Amino acid sequence: MSEQTEKSFQKQETVFLNAKGVSKKNNRWYKDIGLGYKTPSEAISGTYIDKKCPFTGNVSIRGRILTGVVHSTGMKRTVIVRRQYLHYIPKYQRYEKRHKNIAAHLSPAFIGVREGDIVTVGQCRPLSKTIRFNVIKHTKSQTKGSKQFAKF
Amino acid sequence: MELRSISRDSRHKRSHTGAKRAQYRKKRKFELGRQAANTKLGAKRIHEVRVRGGNKKFRAMRLESGTYSWGSEAISRSTRIVAVVYNASNNELVRTNTLVKGAIVQIDATPFRQWYENRYAQVLGKKKRQIAGEEDKSDANKPRSKHLQAKVAARKSAVEPALDDQFVSGRLYAIITSRPGQSGRCDGYILEGKELDFYLRKIRSKK
Repeated sequence: MSEQTEKSFQKQETVFLNAKGVSKKNNRWYKDIGLGYKTPSEAISGTYIDKKCPFTGNVSIRGRILTGVVHSTGMKRTVIVRRQYLHYIPKYQRYEKRHKNIAAHLSPAFIGVREGDIVTVGQCRPLSKTIRFNVIKHTKSQTKGSKQFAKF
Repeated sequence: MELRSISRDSRHKRSHTGAKRAQYRKKRKFELGRQAANTKLGAKRIHEVRVRGGNKKFRAMRLESGTYSWGSEAISRSTRIVAVVYNASNNELVRTNTLVKGAIVQIDATPFRQWYENRYAQVLGKKKRQIAGEEDKSDANKPRSKHLQAKVAARKSAVEPALDDQFVSGRLYAIITSRPGQSGRCDGYILEGKELDFYLRKIRSKK
């Protein structure tokens, strides 16, 4: 009901909704993306429609798998992932900090993703001008000890 | 109108970091784009286009019919397209009756009604039928052999009220799922269930 926010009817392409006779409730298609990544329960039991979701949409994860920290969550269904690394300067025998930002599609299957969380992204086909990655795993950031008061 | 003044490259766009990219080569043929078809309703007019690899695309400039499927009954029939009724992207396309993939159209219901009445021996769109007095002539009541009658009686069917109402007016709502400017055809399926409710609400809220 509430997932029909657009002007056209949102549905999973592979699911036929109007079969005669009793159809099982929650007629939902989902897949296992492979490589040992568990598909979230929200993807299986949820009602969202996202054609770019790796679990319930039409994208396959292949190529590179990278991890990084969520840098920004201001966009609709996408996040910026920041990957920091050290680059060695041979002349001075020292390192310098560098970073690269990756725009990744964030499926509604992952709820409660905030800045600072660690996220695993997998390469997929280009989904937009800058998005070639899709979030496939999410681990919340550790607040130092449970005594620290986290801003809910 | 040059063929290659429309290009599909990303070299003219700013990069991910925002940097402006310098032009270092001319437009290439493999990056070309062509004018949109803007297929209208009318007597069939299709232009053939030679595309990359020597293959063909059929650019439909005007179409008047297509093959539409009735999903829950699993049949398809070729029918006339009457009018474009809704387009999620652009109201202009509705006003000008432009056929594109994803547009909601009204199609002629007669082939589907004939098939249904032949198969199930039940009349569709009852309200109109009673007024017109055509009930006797419809296929639902044509003479059948005893064997055929038994077969027909064993078939069960129920058509949802929203669809039944459409049969009264003789026009069904359908959505186009083919790309007329690419394949030269305007095919699709009849809207049913939640999808039908969704689009009916959209159409009514427009009026």
